[in-house]
Amino acid sequence: MNVRECGSWEVENIMKPVIPNAALGAVVLSSVIGISSSAAAHGVVGERFFPATITSDDPFAADELALPTITSFDHETDVDFDYSKTILPGFAIGLGIGHVNAKVPGEPRESGFGNLELSSALEVYRSSEHEFILTTGLDWEVGGTGSRTVAERTSTFTPTVKFGKGFGDLPDSLRYLRPMAITGTVGYLIPGASEEPKSIEWAGAIEYSLLYLQNNVRDQGFGNFVSHLTPVVEMRFSSPTSTGNGGTTGTINPGLIWSGQYLQLAAEAVVPVNHASGHGLGFIAQLHFYIDDIFPHSLGRPIFGGGK
Amino acid sequence: MTRHIFLACAALACFATPAFGHAFLQHAEPGAGARLAVAPKRIALAFSERLEPVFSGVTVTDTSGHGVEAGAAQVRGNTMIVPLRPLAPGNYRVTWRAVSVDTHRTEGAYSFTVRP
Repeated sequence: MNVRECGSWEVENIMKPVIPNAALGAVVLSSVIGISSSAAAHGVVGERFFPATITSDDPFAADELALPTITSFDHETDVDFDYSKTILPGFAIGLGIGHVNAKVPGEPRESGFGNLELSSALEVYRSSEHEFILTTGLDWEVGGTGSRTVAERTSTFTPTVKFGKGFGDLPDSLRYLRPMAITGTVGYLIPGASEEPKSIEWAGAIEYSLLYLQNNVRDQGFGNFVSHLTPVVEMRFSSPTSTGNGGTTGTINPGLIWSGQYLQLAAEAVVPVNHASGHGLGFIAQLHFYIDDIFPHSLGRPIFGGGK
Repeated sequence: MTRHIFLACAALACFATPAFGHAFLQHAEPGAGARLAVAPKRIALAFSERLEPVFSGVTVTDTSGHGVEAGAAQVRGNTMIVPLRPLAPGNYRVTWRAVSVDTHRTEGAYSFTVRP
């Protein structure tokens, strides 16, 4: 076939490298070996790509690194590191730690590392057709591992359910809502010390994928940069389950995520929902690496069951 | 600490250069939602990564679900091209699956219209 016959396409775009025949056999063989695990990649369910959200946990067991996440809000600046590693396809463990620098007016500055945070995520259900995923997990903040000035001495345990749902299955009359997706998490925070209050930790995100709009609904002529943007509104709340421990606190965070081939950048405003949640506007920004795409044959594979 | 974080990020960015990843659709012709006065002779899709030909493919169907391809899809590098039979006016559905050479899999679908 003459590639020059392809309308307005540039020839050099069509003629990107062709796999040499000698390498093709090896590629096919390795593909056959590894093909069973290819669906468990970060953020993809059916035709939907969910970018990694930064205020609320996304519902994927994936090989990812967030370094750093910088949050400035309510007289405090945090720099966080989070790493997630797949052990089996659909099962990952995570490790996170952050540095806190707080200066409340009229009080001495407090800074130091927060507690170590460990987590697990198990994908229990996926529907490619309905762009739906359900994940369970357990978060463990290990008390006493951080600086005495900023970290709690007691641990907390939070069993969590997470989900993601894309709206690509909407009827044609609602096609411009198909790029929309939601994610959510609900967890029950159980403190290690009985005198500490329990709470419901709930969070979520509403996102609109310009990539989905461009590729699945209607070509808008977006350039490569714009088509990889996802406007998002995230939210995160904490609701004590017993009276006398205050009401619900939380923030709503509107922002943008740009998802590239190997990394993503995200920036959001932080807006407190009430006086008890904080004062003034803040911001949060994150640089996030897709380890499964950066190291697809080594660090980005599950330790067990991921093929070569 | 900020300097260490910057150096770590720079190192990761350097490692990222030669890798492969998900093959995301970058350009399609005709594109999603296109309304065409002249029936296209082929569907051409360009992806962000090189494709594994054995596991990548594209189908084009009319509103009755019948395939309208004139032959098998050709996969070259990061592109897939499938020739079409002469198309009558109507709506058509393009459904593709792409497996990049490191076995990451993506899929997608869109529609276009040939006007009377």
